[in-house]
Amino acid sequence: MTMVGTESEARVERPIRAARANGGRLWWLAVPAALIFIVFFVIPVASLFGLSFNKSVAGVIGLSSQFTLDNFIRIFTRATYYEAILRSIWVSAIVSTASLLFGYPLAYVIAKTVNPGRNTLLMIMVLSAMQLDMVIRMFGLMVLLGDNGLINGFLLYTGLVSQPLPLMYNTFGVIVGLVQITLPFMVLSLIGIIKAIHPSLEEAARALGASRIQAFFSIVLPLSMPGILAGTLLVFALSISSYVVPALMGGWKVMVLPIHIYQQIAEVGRWQFGAAIAVVLFVTSIIAVAIYHQAAIRTSGGRT
Amino acid sequence: MSDIHLKKLTKSYGGHLAVAGINLHIAEGEFFSLLGPSGCGKSTTLRMIAGFVQPTSGEIIIGADDVTSLPPEKRDIGIVFQNYAIFPHMNVADNIAFGLKLRKRPRDEIRRRVTDALRQVGLSGYEERYQRELSGGEQQRVALARVLVTEPRILLLDEPLSALDKSLREEMKYWIKDLQKKLGITTVYVTHDQDEALTMSDRIGVMQKAQVVQVGTPQEIYEAPKTLFVTTFIGHSNVMDVIVGSGSGSDMTVLIDGNPVPTRGPENLVPGQPVKLVVRPENVVIGPDQETPVRLPATVLSETYQGSLIRYRLSLGGQEIIAERQNQSGNERFNPGTPVTVGWDPGRSEALVA
Ligand SMILES: Nc1ncnc2c1ncn2[C@@H]1O[C@H](COP(=O)(O)OP(=O)(O)OP(=O)(O)O)[C@@H](O)[C@H]1O
Ligand SMILES: [Mg+2]
Repeated sequence: MTMVGTESEARVERPIRAARANGGRLWWLAVPAALIFIVFFVIPVASLFGLSFNKSVAGVIGLSSQFTLDNFIRIFTRATYYEAILRSIWVSAIVSTASLLFGYPLAYVIAKTVNPGRNTLLMIMVLSAMQLDMVIRMFGLMVLLGDNGLINGFLLYTGLVSQPLPLMYNTFGVIVGLVQITLPFMVLSLIGIIKAIHPSLEEAARALGASRIQAFFSIVLPLSMPGILAGTLLVFALSISSYVVPALMGGWKVMVLPIHIYQQIAEVGRWQFGAAIAVVLFVTSIIAVAIYHQAAIRTSGGRT
Repeated sequence: MSDIHLKKLTKSYGGHLAVAGINLHIAEGEFFSLLGPSGCGKSTTLRMIAGFVQPTSGEIIIGADDVTSLPPEKRDIGIVFQNYAIFPHMNVADNIAFGLKLRKRPRDEIRRRVTDALRQVGLSGYEERYQRELSGGEQQRVALARVLVTEPRILLLDEPLSALDKSLREEMKYWIKDLQKKLGITTVYVTHDQDEALTMSDRIGVMQKAQVVQVGTPQEIYEAPKTLFVTTFIGHSNVMDVIVGSGSGSDMTVLIDGNPVPTRGPENLVPGQPVKLVVRPENVVIGPDQETPVRLPATVLSETYQGSLIRYRLSLGGQEIIAERQNQSGNERFNPGTPVTVGWDPGRSEALVA
């Protein structure tokens, strides 16, 4: 009996060992990318984070071994900074929501378009929005939203308003800019998921007595949850970390965390304090994402 | 329970006719199959009855109601898809309760009816399972339970067995048929599998190129096919090129190798007209002693052993035909090259205009 047992065990083990050896060899393919990741991302970011525990001295970049929490204490005791944390979070949350509300219908239409020509056209529209650099697209928005911009020009001309509407250099402008930047990411996260929902599921619901709207809310929307989750997380991460959009569209008046980081480092030269804000931004973003992820998993019944 | 009338039902996709003016009456409680090759318009017809495809013209009447322009949810129908379409984010109980919740039934009634429906399909205790935890056959049963629990007027099935393996397909064939008989629900069953259509149906509508070419009981379709297409699509047939000898209709002959052979055929034939003579292989009998009204000389070309059957390829008047014999003890076997006499019952042959 024991003989038979060991023999069959050996037979089972052989393919596993082969697979392990194979995986071991394949692992080397990841080395170049891993090296680039470590050298150009992990090391610089880790040293910046290390810097955040040093005493703030203008113009000094060198890491020292004298650790202090002064920078963090300052962030959490001054209204300017903790208000900026909250502002960063809610602005990003609004952008995620708006991006979802605008992106879902578009993604739905693209996913349901079977005609290959029309489908390609819609995809090109979405992707072309990503072709231009962010700065250029923001300048475009300024032409539209500025005090002398197209919208205000039209409203003033028709006499609908007597003062230009404040469409830019405020939170509204920042949100519009961020939604514009993040929308394609949202749409791309959703298309694949919506496409994968077999049309017969919707049809089965219809035949069982659901109206088009009921079928959408009871079948299609719940089954889109993985895409909604991925899309909103991606958009949230892009928004909370964006510097260019709040800088251009907010005109330095909408103080979110990346603006503070830039000011501290580029203008005041206080690398240590800027680094501390960066750490807070990073941790805040991770905590917000984790909370959201947990909540989403709970509401979608454990399926993501 | 209701009957179904299709009146000149037509669907065209950009000039291409998917369904070309179908007229059908499907009786109350009947199991009706739409049988035909791929692309002949079976699914389109079914989806028009369900309301997922809007007809280009024509009418659909269920019971006393013209439903042609009603959306699917107002038609009171049940449909089972090839992939079963079990909602993956709901467990079995919620899947089955879906239609009842939409109908705003009280909670305890829903619970009771879900339990009953699961018992009916032999899946008691499966309430908490999800689609990914069900086999194909179980999903099939859940899909049927989900539809039947709402007590629809008609049941529509689009190739519901084609995703199952062969033995399960056999089992489900009889199971679905029994359930349908027990409930007495008017059923339209779409398939391209002649076996399914022949074993399950009360009547079959054979479809070819967007049209219904013959409607009849399985026996009528198999034994008295009206067109060459029906003959060749359903079962195997010997199709011989012959010419009309005399007469037409049920009292006619055709000439094989100069010999007059009695057969059934269409009306209005003229002597000398080329027609096809169709005989099923199982109706061709071989042997010098066989007593059949039709007796013709032939030569054995080859013999194939197929277990319960022996299959002979024969040359008859210069044409090849197939004969199948039961492999019974005492049945003589014939070697290739042997001259034999073949024959058949004229009532089992059919002359058809090609
Ligand atoms: N949405 C559509 N757009 C254009 N043509 C279609 C569409 N749906 C079906 N057709 C065409 O209509 C014809 C009939 O299709 P249908 O799906 O009814 O065939 P079927 O008999 O069910 O075939 P199968 O056995 O392969 O399912 C086919 O030629 C098909 O290409
Ligand atoms: Mg089909």
